[in-house]
Amino acid sequence: MKNPITAFIDKKMQRFDPIWRAENGKGGQRSRYYDKTGIAKYREWRGTKDTFYDYLAWLNNLKSMGLMVASAPLPVLKGMWEYRWMGSYLGTFAFIDRLFEGFRGPELRIAHMNMHAIVQSLTKKIALVLSNDKRLGGGPLSDRMVPMDEVLPPLFMCGFPNLIPIPLQTLPEFIICDIDQQLEPFYIDVAESFGLAADVCSRCSAETGVTFNDDFPIIGKALLSTNMPCNASEATSMFQRRRIGLPDFPVTLAMIHNEPGAHPYSTQILRDAIKFIEDEYGEVYDWDALFARARQMNEQNEIELEKWDIFKTPHSALCGIAETLYRLYSWASVNGQEDYFTKNDRKVIKIMRRCYEKRYMPFGGKTRHRAFLWGPSAVYYTDFPTWIQNCWGVSIVLNMDSTMGHNMINTEDPEEAIKDLALFSEKAVMRHHAVGGWDNVNAVWDWAKNFDCDMVLMNDNVACKGMNGVHAMMEEQARDLGFYFIFVEHDLEDCRTVSRRDMRNIVNNYMSVVVGEEPLDPTLLDFDDSEAW
Amino acid sequence: MKKKVLGIVLKLMLVLLGTFIATFTIYFFNLENKLIYYVVRPFLNKHYDSQRRDRRIV
Repeated sequence: MKNPITAFIDKKMQRFDPIWRAENGKGGQRSRYYDKTGIAKYREWRGTKDTFYDYLAWLNNLKSMGLMVASAPLPVLKGMWEYRWMGSYLGTFAFIDRLFEGFRGPELRIAHMNMHAIVQSLTKKIALVLSNDKRLGGGPLSDRMVPMDEVLPPLFMCGFPNLIPIPLQTLPEFIICDIDQQLEPFYIDVAESFGLAADVCSRCSAETGVTFNDDFPIIGKALLSTNMPCNASEATSMFQRRRIGLPDFPVTLAMIHNEPGAHPYSTQILRDAIKFIEDEYGEVYDWDALFARARQMNEQNEIELEKWDIFKTPHSALCGIAETLYRLYSWASVNGQEDYFTKNDRKVIKIMRRCYEKRYMPFGGKTRHRAFLWGPSAVYYTDFPTWIQNCWGVSIVLNMDSTMGHNMINTEDPEEAIKDLALFSEKAVMRHHAVGGWDNVNAVWDWAKNFDCDMVLMNDNVACKGMNGVHAMMEEQARDLGFYFIFVEHDLEDCRTVSRRDMRNIVNNYMSVVVGEEPLDPTLLDFDDSEAW
Repeated sequence: MKKKVLGIVLKLMLVLLGTFIATFTIYFFNLENKLIYYVVRPFLNKHYDSQRRDRRIV
């Protein structure tokens, strides 16, 4: 039974509640935005309890950002002044608001728990990197840091407890492109101003632009680069290693890794990488230190597999962007290194179990379709899963980013552990998704079937040569297998080629013409957010 | 003594209430994002655009 005081407040405040407005024909989510900007006039009223929870989560994130500045005031200010990408992090609050529009009850709680895990980790990492950035004067830990390519899972580096592995591209490019769509076109233009091809993956191109603009922090004594797992034609790894100028070791993991013969190769590459770090940093690899962190990663993966069981039902309070962005960050960047994520996972799975036992229906039971999503960054800066849930009632049950390495790592025998780590590392970002072999792409149908989805959404990077080749085959298979299937064109981090609005319209056309449905919130159907972060 | 403690508790509660009203107003009317979007970012972007960088392909 509802408390009469909160019921009274809710009644008075309902004109600020976009869901109530959409249900009563008085507007909806977009009614509260200034045109084009993505800036809301006011935050949504979610009911007294949930609004208060959202407010506390906002305060909690504000606290983390305050702590970041307080822990390293001068380096953070210098970084803000030096690096264009640092300015973009100021859009974080608006980003979080966009991601969790329409979230209520347990789905809001879990979403904020997951998001705060990212915020508290990222703010600490920014302070740490800027405090030790040689471009800004360096710090006591500069030479204990190991810059490594972000598509290499850093778990194997935990065998060096005195060193700090830092995924180099994560701060200036990988995470920030999700928060601010206006940032990467600048870096892409820098890369293209040298006559480099304009039709390559815009992520690689943006990384090259960051390199040429001297916007990578300079840390460490040696670099671990890798064979880029997608669209290597643009050679961004090569430009980065040349410009950064540190001794480097390219950790070239096997690309077509489903072949059994590939694993010994990847295992040897990891051994060689460890040897390289031992030589360059004068450290000895400590297997016990690795095992301690591998246990954390194993527990996170065990919980993840339990989450998947709940995802298969309509009663999961964790879905959409709260699921996929968290998994992407906790897997690719944290990778077992931070206990906070294991603790957070334990809390989240408890809420999920409770919701499942009560047969809870998220989003007020308005979900019409369950979709498996095959999508990268364009999913995040467009807040695509949130939009498609609120506009069309399509729940993104699982995204491709969540399917990365979930094999357990042996925590007793170094020989077995390194083999497990090789398999684990082969199943990393993009390596597992776009160029790891046709089987990985074709697996979308199995994923969709196993998670009881009636729809598959496939993000089609217009510049990705690998994926361009499969378009027609996927269309044919979808027809044969009876899935609703939408190819959502995008240019990854270049919102000028395919805008957010264009991406949404592809879905709008399919949902209205092919599926023949009406939107849940008509204000979300077609709107201009071209000037938004 | 009791009166003094009561006075401190009252003052503390007033401070907390004031902080809550101020932060909730910022939160609800999205004031921090408005400030960043319309004032801080244009200022920073102007600065970033005026930076001179040694851009080279190697």
